[in-house]
Amino acid sequence: MTGLFAPGDVVRVAGVHPPGHRRTPFYIRGKQGVIERVCGEFANPEELGYGFDGLPKKRLYCVRFHQKDLWADYDGDAGDTVDVDVYEHWLSRCTDRVGDATGSTGVK
Amino acid sequence: MSTQHADHAHGQGREQDHDHDHIHDHATHRHPPAQPDDTSPPGRYELMILAMRDLLIEKGILTADQIRRGLEKLDAWQPSRGAEIVARAWTDPAFKRRLLADGNEAVADYGIDMGGAKLTVLENTDKVQNVVVCTLCSCYPRAVLGLPPDWYRSKNYRSRVVKEPRKVLSEFGTELADNIVVRVHDSLADLRYLVVPRRPAGTENWSKDELAGLVTRDCMVGVADPRVESKPE
Amino acid sequence: MQGPENLEPDNSQLSSAKEAGRGYHDLGGLEGGPIDTQVSQAKPWEKLAVVVGNALGAKGAKIVRTDEVRRTREEMGADLYNRLGYFEKGIESLRRLLVEKGVLNPQELERRIAERARQIEEEGR
Repeated sequence: MTGLFAPGDVVRVAGVHPPGHRRTPFYIRGKQGVIERVCGEFANPEELGYGFDGLPKKRLYCVRFHQKDLWADYDGDAGDTVDVDVYEHWLSRCTDRVGDATGSTGVK
Repeated sequence: MSTQHADHAHGQGREQDHDHDHIHDHATHRHPPAQPDDTSPPGRYELMILAMRDLLIEKGILTADQIRRGLEKLDAWQPSRGAEIVARAWTDPAFKRRLLADGNEAVADYGIDMGGAKLTVLENTDKVQNVVVCTLCSCYPRAVLGLPPDWYRSKNYRSRVVKEPRKVLSEFGTELADNIVVRVHDSLADLRYLVVPRRPAGTENWSKDELAGLVTRDCMVGVADPRVESKPE
Repeated sequence: MQGPENLEPDNSQLSSAKEAGRGYHDLGGLEGGPIDTQVSQAKPWEKLAVVVGNALGAKGAKIVRTDEVRRTREEMGADLYNRLGYFEKGIESLRRLLVEKGVLNPQELERRIAERARQIEEEGR
């Protein structure tokens, strides 16, 4: 089974906040990162959390985010990153390279 | 009244099986001094887990033996296992290659079963410091490192290490050399991360045991680096 | 004249109220205090909580999944989540899940909790 993305692809995490059990943390939603590697296929935790079998399995990717893209005031090294394991259905190919798709700063 | 021994686990409460598979001969088998009895009033959740255990056993869902074996297994999950693995990775390049390629396969040499999680081993280098967190709950490679420490489970760590890792590391007394980048890993799925820290200079002739003694749990989460001052005499 | 309707989803019952749509357990990036690096030994009842949870899962009775216990941890509400300790949250999550699955009766559990409290008061742990 081939997945949608390969290492090196620039992707964006969906900028949505659905209720219920999700393993995509708030701080990366709407953010842009790069596929660092493919982690494998796993049953979907969003379904497993409610007693469903979580099948068919979802492809999981390690996505690398630059800290300076996540936090406006990041003052560490420009090369500092956060790697998060993200499921395929949260990701889309990113063609634009600037900014945050949600248009919000996140803080209300 | 129950006494606690550090080297094997007892069940909770008086009616638990108090069986030993070895004979207590105090001349040759020394236990550490018994802990003073905990006389503080039990909180609601201490009472609750005892009640839950009793009900689950009565309903035939669990057995007392299963719980006893689980407690023994839990006591065997200690950071020293991880330290042994790191020391071998430092001294055995072929093992290190296996460990980095497939952590589960490599730690099976030590009888370690990750229980369905995929062990991913990260190597600290001259250029990269890896740091591990689980911001959503506190996922942790328990089979290799034991239970996660209080700080790893804390709101402060889970909130801050993804956005200001260098500041958090400095609170552990860890200062990084110039031109090292920090890579934080938020382990939220089925992967569990173990960090192989940089081997300190001047340890070229050390034994694996001496090397393992340098590798603290904090080093394997990435918030600290091994220090030669802690070499055993 | 009526203004535009609010288009944000209302997950307020699950949210920490810090940011709309952020679950109270979803802490990455929030403000936090200094790290207390002191470590404590897990108490016997805390270890028991870990072991009971494991024994109910894939390697034992197979009636709970880690994903389900995480989900109930995220449903107990921000107040409990912020008040309870780590292992307490684990036990509370397990209780909710086992009640949901019909494995435990909550009133029976409360009766046993009260009995155990009386017993410990009389006899010690």
